[in-house]
Amino acid sequence: MLSVKGLRANVGENEILKGLDIEVRPGEVHAIMGPNGSGKSTLAHVLSGREGYSVTGGSVTFEGQDLLALEPEERARLGLFLAFQYPVELPGVNNTYFLKAALNSIRKSRGQEELDAVSFLRLIKEKLKILHLDDSLLKRAVNAGFSGGEKKRNEIFQMALLEPKLAILDETDSGLDIDALRVVADGVNALRSPQRAMLVVTHYQRLLDYIEPDIVHVLAKGRIIRSGGKELARELEEKGYGWVLDQEQAA
Amino acid sequence: MTGASAASFDNWVPARAADLPGAALDWLESQRHQALARVRAHGIPSSKEEAWRYTSLKGLLEQGFSAAAERPPLPTLEALHPLLVPGLDSHRVVLVNGCYIPELSALGPLPLGVRIGGLRSLLASEPDALRDRLNGIAEGHQSFFAALNTAGLDDGLVVMMEPDTRLDRPLELIHLAVGMDAPRVAQPRHWVALDEGAQARLIERYVSLDQSLYCTNSVLEIALGRDALLEHDRIQSESPNAFHIAGLYLHQETGSRYHGVNIGLGGRWARTEIYARLAGMHAECDLQGLYLAGDRQLMDYHLDVDHAVPACVSREGFKGILYGKGRAVFDGRVVVAKEAQKSDAAMSNHNLMLSESAEIDTKPQLEINADDVKCSHGTTVGQLEPEMLFYLRSRGIAAPAARRMLCLGFAEEVIASLHAESVREQISEQVGQRLETAPID
Repeated sequence: MLSVKGLRANVGENEILKGLDIEVRPGEVHAIMGPNGSGKSTLAHVLSGREGYSVTGGSVTFEGQDLLALEPEERARLGLFLAFQYPVELPGVNNTYFLKAALNSIRKSRGQEELDAVSFLRLIKEKLKILHLDDSLLKRAVNAGFSGGEKKRNEIFQMALLEPKLAILDETDSGLDIDALRVVADGVNALRSPQRAMLVVTHYQRLLDYIEPDIVHVLAKGRIIRSGGKELARELEEKGYGWVLDQEQAA
Repeated sequence: MTGASAASFDNWVPARAADLPGAALDWLESQRHQALARVRAHGIPSSKEEAWRYTSLKGLLEQGFSAAAERPPLPTLEALHPLLVPGLDSHRVVLVNGCYIPELSALGPLPLGVRIGGLRSLLASEPDALRDRLNGIAEGHQSFFAALNTAGLDDGLVVMMEPDTRLDRPLELIHLAVGMDAPRVAQPRHWVALDEGAQARLIERYVSLDQSLYCTNSVLEIALGRDALLEHDRIQSESPNAFHIAGLYLHQETGSRYHGVNIGLGGRWARTEIYARLAGMHAECDLQGLYLAGDRQLMDYHLDVDHAVPACVSREGFKGILYGKGRAVFDGRVVVAKEAQKSDAAMSNHNLMLSESAEIDTKPQLEINADDVKCSHGTTVGQLEPEMLFYLRSRGIAAPAARRMLCLGFAEEVIASLHAESVREQISEQVGQRLETAPID
């Protein structure tokens, strides 16, 4: 589904990703862990097409297409979704209007009919329940004045609505208390399916207690230095990133 | 244009003064004469004057506008239909090229103590009803175009509300411009007075049936008595070739409230001057505005708010969206008198520039002569935030649609402050349509 080969990317003059490889198949949940500054967020941003990064080498194929050649909206329509670490506030942009525009543009690109107001409302009310979100959210401006927890839930709510093939969760646990984390994780788990893959980017193992990954990768200095099963996350939590970095240096 | 003679504007005043209503009234004739003398003495405003520093009158003068000697062809009621706001139930007054047209108006029954009618007919039936009142608010401000309007003072709307009266439905004032063979100027003149405790909502709209070239120079004087309340939605959607000049002159007594929302969409050259005098304590004046300056379009706003006494509140919040070679001017001034302690004023002007060739001159000024006040001002000139754009695009929304969505979001705050829901909906739609065709990619 997603194949990243030797990916190199710069921010300005600084090379952040230095030859990164990752292979994701439908149904898999991959965790990408790593210390601050290892390139986790850069990976999420480069995959979703954010400006400000220049790719200097390697390739990314998603659903058989050259992902890096596509505009952000084309990537979204192809089934890629990024849950933002810092969801952006859009004052004055009504949530319902925004969600409807997003859903219908994605449906349209998939050759599906656009939803009318009634069926759209029915659909979002159903999805809101999954995330324990209140109807009043629909009348508000996108993320404007939302609490940290609400913003993160709103991200997963959008994911539930847009039904991506590959969801990238960028530090979705950051800034969440334990109750909010549980709600978000439940929401994510409800979306797990044999057709859908996830890339969970996180600094802490905590989130992985709730969203159990199939494969854990350790990202350091712009490369995947180690991959393993979910037990790798636990080991990292106990021994710290120093442990795996030391091993890497020794090897 | 410096040194040009104000005689270029002589044609704005009908040649035969005897044709004007109330020509036999000394007080009115003397107002007209003084105004004309002032226009001539002043000469054409030049860019050396602060109020005209950013705005050239060259394009306007080139058109050779003149007052129409003949009545405009009247449209039928059916022709008017597309210009109405769907779902708006109002007391409707229609002016065609500045003249009050009862046949097109639909005033309906009015509450006791509320008088609404045409200026010309009032001057004929009750010559002294407006004596010592008309022009009393505008005169002191010495605005060139208000003087010109007074010099040709002819017809318009008069609203007089006795104490504690209330209009349950909004009063809608439609300025309809109908194209004529030669470029014509219309100079409607309005007087709105709400006595103590009276309350009303006024929806003022400038519209045209076609794309014709004309000039509007309107003056509206508003007198708010103690604790009176006026909510005023003002929609300028003139023909894209029109020149639009509007002066709003406001006098507020103790505890009165004026809430005005100005939407500027139409015209190729539009200037709005708003003068508010807060003359009684605890008066409240809220001026909101939204302007769209498209390619080769000028939107020019001048605000002058005078906190003359203590404890008044004023808000001046204007937002603009500029694209193509659009230009806008925001010249806002709040003056707090020495004795006006506890004044509370907040002025802001935020501009969204969608092209590199758009131009904004923004000049908010606070002139504070008292020491115990709460006053602030803020100005921003910026582009769409890349972060916001990326967020929308990452959800599958194409870049042009995403840009429009953000522009509408930017405008939403002002649109939401419009008082009439049906107007709100229409403006939201019209702004959306304008952005639809804007080359903002």
